[in-house]
Amino acid sequence: MRNVIKASMMLSGLLVAAASIGAPPPKTLNDSGDPTLALTPGLRGADKAPPGAAPGNPDPHDFNGVWWMSGYQYLIGPEPGVAPPLKPEYMAILERRIRAKNRGVPEADASTQCMPHGMPRIMESPYPIEIVQTAERVTFLHEVAHNLRRIWLNRDHPKKLTPTFLGDSVGHWEGDTMVVDTIGVNDRTFIDDEGSSHSTQEHVIERYRKIDNGSTLELMVTVEDPVTLEHPYTYRRVFRWRPDVRPQEYVCEENNRNAPVNGVTVAK
Amino acid sequence: MRALRVLLATAACGLISLNAQAAPPDLSGVWFISTHVGALKTLDGHAPPLTPEARKIYEAHRALAARGDYSYDGVTECLPPGLPRLMLMQEPFEILQKPKVIYFVHQLNRLPRRAYLDEALPTDVDPHYLGYSVAKWDGDTLVIDTNGFEDGTLLDNAGLPHSDALHLTERYQLSQDGKHMHLGLTIDDPKTFTQTWSAQADYVKRAGYEFPEDVCAATPPAKRPRS
Repeated sequence: MRNVIKASMMLSGLLVAAASIGAPPPKTLNDSGDPTLALTPGLRGADKAPPGAAPGNPDPHDFNGVWWMSGYQYLIGPEPGVAPPLKPEYMAILERRIRAKNRGVPEADASTQCMPHGMPRIMESPYPIEIVQTAERVTFLHEVAHNLRRIWLNRDHPKKLTPTFLGDSVGHWEGDTMVVDTIGVNDRTFIDDEGSSHSTQEHVIERYRKIDNGSTLELMVTVEDPVTLEHPYTYRRVFRWRPDVRPQEYVCEENNRNAPVNGVTVAK
Repeated sequence: MRALRVLLATAACGLISLNAQAAPPDLSGVWFISTHVGALKTLDGHAPPLTPEARKIYEAHRALAARGDYSYDGVTECLPPGLPRLMLMQEPFEILQKPKVIYFVHQLNRLPRRAYLDEALPTDVDPHYLGYSVAKWDGDTLVIDTNGFEDGTLLDNAGLPHSDALHLTERYQLSQDGKHMHLGLTIDDPKTFTQTWSAQADYVKRAGYEFPEDVCAATPPAKRPRS
């Protein structure tokens, strides 16, 4: 209970600090100017660790620790405010979802029911992520809704995959970059919070690399989906090294303020 | 090899010390409980020493369960089991061992648990389902102390209650061959029990086991774990 309150206070704090870095992103879907297609502004997200926090570990192959995203976006396209290159029928679905959101009755997705957020959206979180690296695996412990991602460094994708919310992730190193390949997702989640669709044929490639002497983790994401996308697209995110943060117990299942009723969720 | 790995991990954190003590045992791996623990018993096989008030709560839980009513059990609504119950579930857990933190990653609803090494228990902590855990090595034994519990969870799969005054001590010992692990539990909760008592559980390691993605909210209520 306390965590839900704490989390909602933190989120509203972030909302106040909504960012505008560089050119202002479009305020409506596809710059339509249609107020019913208004996009939710991005969040500034996490700042760098406060003075006195332990400095980042410069070892490029050691991602252990707590990372927190800077620059959360509700729409995950190639640029802030730009939609993914959805095929027309899926762009129409995105428009429908944005209009529903702007009427105050957003369509319920899996995460509003305390299920995992899906790919790549799980990485787009205003909550910290702790990375625990072991010999054959990289484990991501997400504070949000106790999501768990496990990236296998010692095997390929299984030949037979039962679709799951977060899919099957395998990784390897290319120099100082960890490349993560994910397939095998179910289609109960959205690409992003605004409601861009993906299918079970979605393929996500993530490239993680430490920059700024270990104080920042850079992520380049490429999303492919032959069903919903016209063509693949790529976007960039950064996470701040936050040794001063301890992930908290986050129990979505208790007092879920986003719980849907009859397929819509009234609080976001 | 184990010593080398720990040494490397330590060095990676910039903590290497010329006076480093013998490396602790490596508890890493996926562990399954060896024998199902329904109702926790004391080490000599007796029922836990409940106070009269707590006994009424426990008996009410048993009476509801006998009628197939598990409404007293938050696990049926996908809430985290408390401790030590989480360690007594049939779903396995994985230990990830680091110099400053021991991580328990549970298959059950993907619940994480962290025990911070070389810290004191907090004196004023917000209540959590899984409390706040600190760890230390006592020779070859990993000792975890936990307080700061919510009072709504259960100690075991039979509905044994506890209060917010619960202080749990867990002592994990690896077998000589590294394939088994013993857990000694001490339960100190003066609001629920007339005296401190102890119990135990045993685990077997399963190399190469990968958890399925277990999502309670996506699991029909009839298929969720319960008492």
